[in-house]
Amino acid sequence: MNEPSPVVEVRGLVKDHGERQGRVRAVDAVDLEVPQGQTLAVMGPSGCGKSTLLHLLGGLERPTGGEVRLAGRRVDTLSERALARLRRRSVGFVFQAFHLVEELSAAENVELPALLAGRSRREARRSANLLLERVGLAGRARHLPSQLSGGQRQRVAIARALANEPLVVLADEPTGNLDTAATLEVLRIFEDLRSAGQTLVIVTHDERVSATADRLISMRDGMFVDDTRMVGSGIGSGTGSGWLGGLVGLEG
Amino acid sequence: MGSLVLVVRLGLADVRRHRVQAVMLLLAVTVATATMALGLSLRGVSDALYEQTRAATAGPDVVALSGVTGPAQTSALAALADDPDVVAHQGPYRVVYADLATRDSLTSHVVVHGFAETPGSVDRPLVTSGRWLRPGGAVLERGFATALGVGVGDHVTIAGRSYPVVGIAVTAATSIYPWAAQIGPYGGPSDSTGLAWMTRADAQALASSRDLPVTMALDLKLRDPAATESFIDAHPVPLTLHSWQFTAEQDMVILRNSQPILVVGSWLLGFLAVTGVAALAAGRAVEQTRRAGLLKAVGATPGLIATVLLTEYLALALAGDALGLVIAHLTAPAIASPTASRIGDAAGPGGATVVTATVLAVAVALLSTLRPALRAMRTATVTALSATAHRPRHRPWLTALSALLPTPLLLGLRLTARRPGRAVLQACSTATTVIGIVALLIIGAQPERGYGLDGSSALPNLRDEHDRRVMLAVTALLVALAVVNTITFTWTTAMEARANMAVARTLGATPGQISMGLSTAQLLPSLPGALAGVPLGIGLFAMFALGKWTLPPSSWLFGAAFATLVATAALTALPARLAARQPVARALSAETA
Repeated sequence: MNEPSPVVEVRGLVKDHGERQGRVRAVDAVDLEVPQGQTLAVMGPSGCGKSTLLHLLGGLERPTGGEVRLAGRRVDTLSERALARLRRRSVGFVFQAFHLVEELSAAENVELPALLAGRSRREARRSANLLLERVGLAGRARHLPSQLSGGQRQRVAIARALANEPLVVLADEPTGNLDTAATLEVLRIFEDLRSAGQTLVIVTHDERVSATADRLISMRDGMFVDDTRMVGSGIGSGTGSGWLGGLVGLEG
Repeated sequence: MGSLVLVVRLGLADVRRHRVQAVMLLLAVTVATATMALGLSLRGVSDALYEQTRAATAGPDVVALSGVTGPAQTSALAALADDPDVVAHQGPYRVVYADLATRDSLTSHVVVHGFAETPGSVDRPLVTSGRWLRPGGAVLERGFATALGVGVGDHVTIAGRSYPVVGIAVTAATSIYPWAAQIGPYGGPSDSTGLAWMTRADAQALASSRDLPVTMALDLKLRDPAATESFIDAHPVPLTLHSWQFTAEQDMVILRNSQPILVVGSWLLGFLAVTGVAALAAGRAVEQTRRAGLLKAVGATPGLIATVLLTEYLALALAGDALGLVIAHLTAPAIASPTASRIGDAAGPGGATVVTATVLAVAVALLSTLRPALRAMRTATVTALSATAHRPRHRPWLTALSALLPTPLLLGLRLTARRPGRAVLQACSTATTVIGIVALLIIGAQPERGYGLDGSSALPNLRDEHDRRVMLAVTALLVALAVVNTITFTWTTAMEARANMAVARTLGATPGQISMGLSTAQLLPSLPGALAGVPLGIGLFAMFALGKWTLPPSSWLFGAAFATLVATAALTALPARLAARQPVARALSAETA
């Protein structure tokens, strides 16, 4: 069977930080293809270049060498303005530290990308309400981030990432600041996204998260050292919530 | 459309979250624009009040003053009345130069105009209380009566004879009090003089009873009221001719010092507004940069980031501008007409004034936010998302030098060196305040010559009093903004340095030493600022002063600088103490979060 066409395509990607003697290679000649609908987990020790790779894929940083394509379109040569437009329409980010606008309510945070994309206020609000319902926060739409738990904040961030139906959702340690119960909530949402055919790239330290992926890449010193296709991964392939509960340590 | 909603929403949300900063910007801009608008609109308001008084009193286009009485002057006045360019006239009437005393022993020069009991078609003084002339009674000009504290029913003594005050009135035929005489007896200079009206017979009797100086005057209405200059040029000596434009111009004499005080004051207030708001904006730089980072991450362009940041400040500045213009409109009549000699309502600030005040407001908003806006735009998204406080440059010499000092001074010096730009702003803020205080002291040190007889200050010099009041108000506003600035500078410094101060406490520094270090960090730049403020204040005063002036004793000036430093130390104590007492663990974990 043919693989779906890649949403993310990377060739010879290099990223250096610092200058002269202080120069450090964070990403070292990496090639990668992520097909439509795949959930890719990238694991590795701290400082191995996982987050930098994610930033390069989403156009938050510019590579030192190589090229990045999203849906076939080369993005590493785009202007800052064009990159911003690309991010608002094609990429959804989920950060470890949530990065919500503290003075806006949950719904207003979710509306941000839609408004940036030029959608009307009414349309943006309708879409935000649907997304909050999807992540189980319909009753928290008017709450400020400070009134939400860590897990709830991360779910708001995921809803925000989905606001413009992006080609790919890039998640950087999405459960890094969460307790077990909150991690379970987030994993359930990722599983829903996976089932719906959403392309996901998740950088994580957490094996519980990587266990839900279709594919696992291990990184070390800026390079890929292992690329494994997972068989029978995901909640659906296990024993339902019991399987996931076991995965996150809620059941023995 | 979506972006517009976003800009408005983010701006409103930020204002809600940072109310103190929003209120501070609003008030600072309001104060600066109100002061500037007042300063710039004084002439317009003065002219408007004169125009309205002139319209209400059928003010003459030209007043002819004989200076002396003689056949030549009498025939010249008669010829003027018959001039083909003159459509109506009043007089000639007597102008008697006398002294006036009230029951409260206030004394003043007075000119008495001998008028008909029924006013004519030109120069019909408007009675604002009481009634018009009756035999044996006097009507006092309103500005004069107000200065004397005299009302209808009181008695005044003119040239030794008591007259009941039957009315209070205003006229546009003469300059405002205390320049009603226009020219002195026999054409010489006139001292501060008020105006009273009596019947023709009473004025004649008054003049002859004491052999008082008398001149003649004639009020003229011209065919073309605008053509006063050509009319005056066509009628040279032996008469002195004053046009209505000249009289209107004379009304401004009392405001000659107030105008520069207000305009220069508005520059200084604008500068303090910029420094204060810039300090607050700098204190929020990390938070703003992070917010810019997350907006970029979800797809906001650099242009939109700048728009979001600037719109909020511009909107607040424009609101402050509007408020300032309204305040200027409401207070202008009181500032522009300190003598009560004129009536009417002042129109709002003119178009040029509105534009200038708005430019000032926009400049305050732009200057105070440009740097954080540019930084937020230029910082790479990933860097912005993890923004931390700016790392100061390493200065080995300073570190070595400060190591020799006591702990509070060591901390203060190092804190000052962390933010040299802010230290300069603090120095400038202090210098600006001292400039205002020095100017106030210089004005206060000038010898006072009252409007009473022989310069008695029992009847105060309205112009000097007005100047002092305006200068006091401007200085009070300067001090108020400087107080807010000092507290802001201290708190911002404390918040930015909290991790370092927490580390210092883990190494054994006491909260008291931290608190003193934070105060010292404000005092170090304030010291050169206060010292520079003294000569700058003198220089600025010299630049705008009219006529001769004397410098107050240097002990006053340097005492003011010293007092400013003491006040700065006192003001920094509370925020420094509060900041120094924050739990160490919380400060350290906040920095690493």
